[in-house]
Amino acid sequence: MKKKPKNLRQINGLSIVIFLFSIFWLMPLLLIFINSFKPYNDIIQDFMALPKSWKLDMYIETWTKFNFPMLIGNTLLYTACTVVAVALLAPMAAYRLARTDHKLSKVCFVLIIMPMMVPFQSYMITLTKMVANIGLTGNRLGYILVSIGLCMPLAVYMIHGFVKNVPIELEECARIDGATEIRTYFSIVLPLLKPILTTVVVLDTLATWNDIITNQLIVGGKAGAMNIQNALYMQFSAQTADWEHALPGIVMSMIPSLIFFVAMQKHIVGGVTAGAVKG
Amino acid sequence: MKSKSKRTKSFLLFALFVFPAVIFVLFATDIPFIMNLYYSVFDWNGVGKSMTFVGLDNYIKIFTNDSLFWKGVKFTLKFAVFYVLIVNALSLTVALVMSRETKTTSVGRAFYYVPYIISLTAISLIWKFILGPGFEALYSVTGWEIFNWSWLGTPKLAFYVVVIMAVWQNLGFYMVNYIAGIIAVPKELMEAARIDGAGSIQVFLKITLPMIMPAISICMLTSLTFAFKLFDIIMVFTKGGPANGTVTVAYNIYKEAFVNNKYGLATAKSLVFVVFVLIVTAIQMKVTKSREVEA
Repeated sequence: MKKKPKNLRQINGLSIVIFLFSIFWLMPLLLIFINSFKPYNDIIQDFMALPKSWKLDMYIETWTKFNFPMLIGNTLLYTACTVVAVALLAPMAAYRLARTDHKLSKVCFVLIIMPMMVPFQSYMITLTKMVANIGLTGNRLGYILVSIGLCMPLAVYMIHGFVKNVPIELEECARIDGATEIRTYFSIVLPLLKPILTTVVVLDTLATWNDIITNQLIVGGKAGAMNIQNALYMQFSAQTADWEHALPGIVMSMIPSLIFFVAMQKHIVGGVTAGAVKG
Repeated sequence: MKSKSKRTKSFLLFALFVFPAVIFVLFATDIPFIMNLYYSVFDWNGVGKSMTFVGLDNYIKIFTNDSLFWKGVKFTLKFAVFYVLIVNALSLTVALVMSRETKTTSVGRAFYYVPYIISLTAISLIWKFILGPGFEALYSVTGWEIFNWSWLGTPKLAFYVVVIMAVWQNLGFYMVNYIAGIIAVPKELMEAARIDGAGSIQVFLKITLPMIMPAISICMLTSLTFAFKLFDIIMVFTKGGPANGTVTVAYNIYKEAFVNNKYGLATAKSLVFVVFVLIVTAIQMKVTKSREVEA
């Protein structure tokens, strides 16, 4: 009995350190935020201080100077196309693959799953080359096609695992009642897949919005087709960066992710754990 | 006759459901991967028409005469050791505290998790800003030498910058996995041990730790594959510099193809790289398989 208070104290000591540490962990983001409102001289003079005024001048200037409406429009288009295509096609494939057992089904499953085993870095150079050969480099459509293809394997894999636990009796009932296969899928199976589909949508939304590597490889520096991450990277990664514009730019590019995170926190955290097998 | 038309129908149905997904995956991943095999036996600059068949020369070159590739291997392995140990130790410690369900922990979890959901562009510019103007400002205020070091100009320090960035970005991911493991440990076990007089360190070592072994193995292997594949941070942030001091295996492949224009050699390298990574991934898949059945 005497020991108990001591244990509690130990736990609390560690807890306080970890909680303080979490604020330290967020420090880089906080520093970017407060410094995005300062002129460069103030940044150098007092890095940690709050800005003298919270005027949005530099934000507005960055917004127009670097054509943010177009960048955000592109990124939204890419995200929407990828997510819609994956959310439509992945569950169809996963469902059919889980419910069939012939050779072709196995071959298709392996073809879809294989990219999860081999690292993207091993085939990205050939992919880039191939896209260039068919004339889709620097092209919005080319990027969207690649983006869908890259998101598909994990989505099919996750849904496939889920479908296996959905009872087949429901489908059989619908079939007996005279529904076609396609009708059965859309009105019976698809609604049952909602939880895993939400996870897939959330993961792919974040992945596409935040993508820089694939956009860099497929689109390069083509002005009209860059997404926001790629454009900021091309603009500000030079040796002497223009921080007065870069900082508001970074903050604006992060805001959608942060809002999405706050709104979908539960799904994001759950989804990431479910997708952990991919690594 | 009837069974044949039925079979055609079921094939068409299968094609309608499965082929669109297969076509996208073939285009973006399977075909490029297989073409790697073909290109890897040629001497080709990736642009011109002249491709010379060289057999296994590219592979021989990798193993006998390519110091930069092996420098990359060394860097990648060193990074893997640091990253796997630091990120797992830190995220497990954080998870132990954050696994309790209170309002404060849910805020704390979010704080640790946020770097994982922002883009690499933001991350690399943030760190560039802090190490550049930020440290300059801090040096003029404090006068501490640590802020005056050339963090991105010395290979040795740049290594630590890469490790710190990778840990900062990904800690939340491992934390979430550990929390899921810790929450699943039956509370009765811990309470029973406490009543029997075990201290919190004892409870952790004798109960929590053995019970979360699956989570630990998943996180260890995931972090190991991440480390082996390290590319994004290097491409966006250090570009392999200074003085090739932060070139990883994956970045070496990229550079070989797009900077040195040795396309055939680069594809051969990427296949050697696949073998490295496949061994780890195979173990990972095997270990995580039991878990995926439950999910």
